[in-house]
Amino acid sequence: MGIPPEVQNVANQRIVEVLVSKLRRRQVVGSRQTAIETVLVLRQVVSKARFSNIEQLIHIIKAVGRRLVQAQPKEHTVGNTVRKVLHHVREEYQAVSRAGPSTQTAKSSFSISKFVSQGQPRKQNLTAPKSDTRSTSLRENDPNDPDSFAKGLKPVLMEAIQDVLDELETVYDNVSKSAKDHIHSDEIILTIGHSKTVESFLKAAAHYRNYIVIVAETAPSFGGHEMACSLSSAGISSFLVPDSSIYALMSRVNKCILGAHAILANGGMFAITGSLLAVSAAQAHSTPVVVCAGQFKLTPLWNLYHDYGALDFADPSSVLGFEEGSLVDKVDVINPYFDYVGPELIDVYITNDGDHPPSSVYRLIKESYDDDDHEL
Amino acid sequence: MPVAHSPIQALKSSSAVPTTILEDPSGSLSQQGFDVYASYQRILENEEIATPLAAILALTELIEHSKAGTMFELVKELHEAAEILKKRTTNPISLNAGTELFIAFVTLFPHESDNFADLKTKLVKQGQDYAAEALTFRGKISELALDFIKDDSILTHSYSRVVMQTLLRAHKQKRISVYVTEARPRGLGVKTYEALTAAGIPCTMVLDSAVAYVMDMVDFILVGSEAVVESGGLINAVGSNQIAIIAKAAKKPFYALAESYKFHRLFPLSQYDLPTHNDDILSFPRHAQRLSPVLTARPSVAPSPLAMTPEQILRNPRVDYTMPDLISLVFSDVGILTPEGVSQYLVGMFAG
Repeated sequence: MGIPPEVQNVANQRIVEVLVSKLRRRQVVGSRQTAIETVLVLRQVVSKARFSNIEQLIHIIKAVGRRLVQAQPKEHTVGNTVRKVLHHVREEYQAVSRAGPSTQTAKSSFSISKFVSQGQPRKQNLTAPKSDTRSTSLRENDPNDPDSFAKGLKPVLMEAIQDVLDELETVYDNVSKSAKDHIHSDEIILTIGHSKTVESFLKAAAHYRNYIVIVAETAPSFGGHEMACSLSSAGISSFLVPDSSIYALMSRVNKCILGAHAILANGGMFAITGSLLAVSAAQAHSTPVVVCAGQFKLTPLWNLYHDYGALDFADPSSVLGFEEGSLVDKVDVINPYFDYVGPELIDVYITNDGDHPPSSVYRLIKESYDDDDHEL
Repeated sequence: MPVAHSPIQALKSSSAVPTTILEDPSGSLSQQGFDVYASYQRILENEEIATPLAAILALTELIEHSKAGTMFELVKELHEAAEILKKRTTNPISLNAGTELFIAFVTLFPHESDNFADLKTKLVKQGQDYAAEALTFRGKISELALDFIKDDSILTHSYSRVVMQTLLRAHKQKRISVYVTEARPRGLGVKTYEALTAAGIPCTMVLDSAVAYVMDMVDFILVGSEAVVESGGLINAVGSNQIAIIAKAAKKPFYALAESYKFHRLFPLSQYDLPTHNDDILSFPRHAQRLSPVLTARPSVAPSPLAMTPEQILRNPRVDYTMPDLISLVFSDVGILTPEGVSQYLVGMFAG
């Protein structure tokens, strides 16, 4: 199929390059921040892109997505955001083209394999073709005016991308909405690291409840220090404890509330180092484990790559610095940044769109992304 | 197991049509000259075609031969044919999955055709198209499972076409080695062993009783299935359940491979809820026979005097049910599912 040369080059656009190098240098970190940056870049790319049919557009987005993912493969939200945008783009395209002349085909294409994968034919599908009146002048591959397709589609695409952006911007508020239903008065909550989602969740609950938070300091990044400061300045009574005392304190803890870096399709997650420790301790005491995370963290990966090598590694100097010069060349120092926490250790994910058990994460992923985008 | 049913008895019991059919004089299909069971058997001769698919194809042939003039009659005939197939086979579980799927499809098929003959040809075509498409499912599943296989030792049970295809596919890219259980009483593990060895995959036979011994040496377990039921549990050749229990105890992943036509609307709570279970299975002999093995009339083929008699074997189950909590993932052509995920598809098809 004919893909004009400019389509191929689009991945090298300046704006893409800027984000690629930022990702590579880790100037953009944090899953939400990278997700937002990715949407902004994609919005730019789509608004500038020239295409005359949907395949070209998808090809462009995928090419950009690939570049960004390669720049920082451990930052899963980049790929997720690209997949989400692709999903929305296809949806909009289908909505527009369904309104066009080719309505009859959908009806007669009911087959056994569709029946298996999509269930019973829905009644509203059969009555849908009523809205034929909304005539759209979308024509793919118009030889006279190759840009007409892009011109017609772009406004709805921009809206769709804006939706993705809005979702990212309101994610903390939406996760925190149900906070008071999960935290009760006089409970003792344990958390680890400095997750913005958990922070806003706890603060939202503090409007309604009086409770105590135990924050593990989370060596060697010590995100727990900031977390404890931030919580106590919001008037929540918080205790900062060393990681080594997590197990000892667990018997008094009512609930563990953690953040996630990425939620995997099997219901497991990548989370800040120390999470596995806390969760295992919680398991031993049958303490509920609650994970707060936006749905942009849903990643269509199974636990295939949870092996040690798949984890991100941080600067080892915080574990063993150069001041210990005599030791440095005698030992290998590694500082893995994330733990893989299996689905059997987690009770519930609180997301910006409802609470879900780990076993239904794969379904959320099926709903959020298209199957052919899992490999960008 | 229908132990007592000799083939002749089985034939008799099937020609004696079930009561529901007897109520209707025009019913019984065999009178119309089309033998659904014969066509089912003929289709099954094709190595590639799984039981549920053969059942679907047999039902499409039935539609071709059917003289039914209304949907109601047609569905009735299909139900009767399904009943016949079920009666005649010793282990109807996966067959039921196929017939149920097809009949549910037929009843829900949106028909805007002008005449009924037209609709019938459409249905036949749908069935055949599906069977043709379904042959690609194993390939799909093996691609999905490929990502989960590294240079691993894999334990498998008995013989399964989808597992074979997956292992052979993986062998092209990875260095796998396979332990295969003997899978008594049918001993189909030998078939797996021979096929894998012929393909150059390092392979070792394991006694069914040595599964716990070998468990620490394997990285994960890969089994096929007769059916995957609504709870996400698995019905497979007997022995799968104990393997899953041992795997759970050893914290090894237990993966089931199942084409989506094996999803079956059944919710067994225990082994004894399976349709294949009957009072004969593992029952105690009525008269406790104190005869020594030598005195029983047993053909002295077996070299060892300490082997089970054929009667004893017949009193054992052929399939067992593996609870969903023992299964890590179910690989199917509709995607990789957690066991709970299977019910979503079944509810989509059969509920509402």
